Amino acid sequence: MKTRLLAVVACGVLLASVPAQAHHSFAAEFDSANCKDFSGTLTKVDWQNPHAYFYMDVKDASGKTESWSFQTYALITLKRAGLERQVFVDNVGKEVWVRGCIAKNGKKNYAAAGTMKFPDGVLRQVGQLQD
Amino acid sequence: MTRDMSRRLAAAVAVALVACAAAGLAAQNAPAQDGPPYAIGVMPPGGAAPRLSDGHPDFSGLWLPNGAGQGVSGRYGVDPAARRQFDPKVTPEAPPSFQPWALAKIKAMTPTELELSKSSVNCQPRGVPAIWLQNPYSTQLVHKPGLLVQLYEVLNNFRVIHTDGRPLPRFPEPLFHGNSATRWDGDTLVVESVGFDERTYVMPNGWFHSDEMKVTERYSRPSLNYLIVEVTVEDPKVLTRPWKSAPRRWTLASGDIYEFYCTNNRELEELQTLREQELKGQK
Repeated sequence: MKTRLLAVVACGVLLASVPAQAHHSFAAEFDSANCKDFSGTLTKVDWQNPHAYFYMDVKDASGKTESWSFQTYALITLKRAGLERQVFVDNVGKEVWVRGCIAKNGKKNYAAAGTMKFPDGVLRQVGQLQD
Repeated sequence: MTRDMSRRLAAAVAVALVACAAAGLAAQNAPAQDGPPYAIGVMPPGGAAPRLSDGHPDFSGLWLPNGAGQGVSGRYGVDPAARRQFDPKVTPEAPPSFQPWALAKIKAMTPTELELSKSSVNCQPRGVPAIWLQNPYSTQLVHKPGLLVQLYEVLNNFRVIHTDGRPLPRFPEPLFHGNSATRWDGDTLVVESVGFDERTYVMPNGWFHSDEMKVTERYSRPSLNYLIVEVTVEDPKVLTRPWKSAPRRWTLASGDIYEFYCTNNRELEELQTLREQELKGQK
């Protein structure tokens, strides 16, 4: 059942990602060959244009926790896709999952978020898909 | 990702690919009137376009640059046809024909320089005609006899176009939105503009312009739900011949225009750092 649900979402991702509006290229700033899954605690959101930023405490393999920041779409793009600021606010302190790509300029713990899951388990596109 | 999750995701992708292929086949095989099974499809034309008290079409409304009548970025289940502003198979848009020196200048830009030149990165106003060619956000039009006000969501920019027949200024100053004069061609509003700030780009591909650029915009509203904008760019210093856009459609949307002051522009800082690294040969 879960597989089927994932398949429906994945089909949507495939369909949604093909004609993405490339008004600017995240690939110039972020490394599409260096994308990772992040799981951790959402700590904060900056709801400001031209992009929102959210912060997560992420545990590495050794158990050490580091704060990461993630860039998203512009605020209005999130809103028109049904993702209001309050969704982030309500989930501060909770576990979230993010697929993100690392900044090319080497800035520490900074990435562009592509897809994201809050505890409700819904896969949401919060930034341009890069991988 | 755990091995179990990886396996599940791989299985999901495989099922999804089959499902997508099946959906595609079903769409091909299904009767045309059924349409493809998308949650967000192409807006119907709606009724006749409203008219102003002077009899001309009324372009007022909140418009989005797609065929869906709502935001489509970051959303799943959108008919690809509803994402497009035009179908290149039906109304192809020829690429601009650059003067050799202009093409060489564009080709010399590095990918990072190209990014830094984009309004979407540096938060400078897009200007005309880019605001109608490279703008994924909404535009609110307020139209009255003698006046067309364009409120651009992106960067909270606005433009006031007088449609009362006044001529172009004799000595136009360089402005991001240019200096405009208008006339009606039947139900199409023709806006001719000259005098542009040279810091803007026509397209986000390095297409810069000269002080001689002249832009002609043609606005029409063939039905309630659709606004069509066609742009012609003449710029003999940069182009070998005028460039004409495809008729680009905008759809009438519900909801409100949103505030978009660009005040937390970390992207610009990060790209400037990357450019400095490139110049030092570190990257």
